[in-house]
Amino acid sequence: MTVQEIEEKLVQGIASIANREVSAIAPEKPFHELGIDSLGFVEILVFIEKTFQLKLIASDLTKQDFETIHSVASYISRKL
Amino acid sequence: MLVSKRKRYLSGSDWVINCLDRMMKNATNAGNMSQIVLVLAAPVDEHELRERLNGFVKSFPVLQGRVSRDLKLAPYWKIPKHAVNDPLLAVHRMDQSPADGSIVSLLERSANAPFRGPEDHLAFQVITDTERSIVSMTFDHRIFDARGAELFLDLFQQSLQSSALPIDGVIPFASSSALTQWSKKFLAGRNVNRRIIALAKASEPEGLPVPTGTDRGFRYRLLSFSPQETVGIYDRAYQEAGYLMESPFLLSVILQSLQELFRSRKGTASSYLIPVTMDLRPGKDQLQEIFFNYVSYLFYQVPVRSIAGRAGLIALLKEQMYELVKSGFPRDLAEASLLTRIAPLPVLGKLLNLPMKGKMATCAFSHLGKSAYRSSEFMGAKIDNLYHMPRVPAPPGLGFFSNYFNGRLNLVISFIDGLLEDKELSMIEQGIRARFLTGSD
Repeated sequence: MTVQEIEEKLVQGIASIANREVSAIAPEKPFHELGIDSLGFVEILVFIEKTFQLKLIASDLTKQDFETIHSVASYISRKL
Repeated sequence: MLVSKRKRYLSGSDWVINCLDRMMKNATNAGNMSQIVLVLAAPVDEHELRERLNGFVKSFPVLQGRVSRDLKLAPYWKIPKHAVNDPLLAVHRMDQSPADGSIVSLLERSANAPFRGPEDHLAFQVITDTERSIVSMTFDHRIFDARGAELFLDLFQQSLQSSALPIDGVIPFASSSALTQWSKKFLAGRNVNRRIIALAKASEPEGLPVPTGTDRGFRYRLLSFSPQETVGIYDRAYQEAGYLMESPFLLSVILQSLQELFRSRKGTASSYLIPVTMDLRPGKDQLQEIFFNYVSYLFYQVPVRSIAGRAGLIALLKEQMYELVKSGFPRDLAEASLLTRIAPLPVLGKLLNLPMKGKMATCAFSHLGKSAYRSSEFMGAKIDNLYHMPRVPAPPGLGFFSNYFNGRLNLVISFIDGLLEDKELSMIEQGIRARFLTGSD
């Protein structure tokens, strides 16, 4: 799966969780600017586990890893 | 799906809130209400505020509705054709800047004042001196949840800025009696039952004895942190709990501070049980979703032995939050609660008490995060702060409610009068402040 394919899946999932249109989710935006709180963020992590079989809740992810949706897609791509 | 301006079917969450309202009316001096408080940097023109509020509130007939049942027993909100009553607006003028204690005392009074009648669900208060003012809106939780109340005031502010009201308050509500898809509801109910029974079997949760007497009101303590302190707290949350994990960090600090209290009371239970609200707004229609309730709950169960070390406690809370969200518990709870609507409110009240033998939780917790009130002004005055003062169902009669506004973190401790002594309240406050600001374990 390419980074772009992962990014597209992430955007669709995040739009659904954040109750936004897909077009309103910019891949270069940080998560905290999407109005997502801790529970919303956990929903995204669950979505990532169910979609990409990667459990990230207990990992040492940093702000930089989650700087943008694009950076998360790159992180997932490296782990797959 | 019914689309109607006069009838809006209640969801399972709405029905549970109605049940809590009845339980609170029986056990305390008023129903399941909350209060949103705006601290303004200038006095407001109370006459203009009254006039504007009267017009705005009365443009929403839904605000003067009441619960009814249809022939199939599905409960609904019966909406009058017109709203006729002006909302209550009480004004307290002060000559000099009052001490914070007297403001809290006035806010406590309005947070605990029952509404004038069964179709009255809102009341306003202004506390003003020559330099600043505080505007509060007390609301019936049956008509708004906390996020909805913020959205409603935001809409009011928007209406002031445009010559015409941007929306028509006679709303065609789309709702369903939800008397179909029974197998889906029963499956959700089975999942919820398994979780609740597991919680009940584990151990009886720690909780403070609710004082006797049915006329008690609630008391509050506001912990408001400066923007500089808030940056430090959020940095600490990031260091200790991870990116966007403020909620488990805040709860871990609250639990550690509460543990000091339970130790001093020689508590013997082996775990704490904490219900946490979760916003499930579908995001389909912003105007309709201002009204009624879109919350569900997570339940954290924390062994007392896990509370002392914060790193382990945070890891436990994060793991439980993750597993509950992954298992779909909050959505199953919302779905399953549709089944409860057939039960009359007194029966549902008894059912809610059954699994935990009347001791439903240790305390309630909610972190609202960033406010849905978007404007930096209210009635032309800059807003310095915004926070919530909810009444908490008793038991447990104790809740911690945090929010973020204008660069500030607020934490309100709400408790039924007599549950805590003043020195115990101060001990909790000092414990929270020390852990937030210095990181002490």
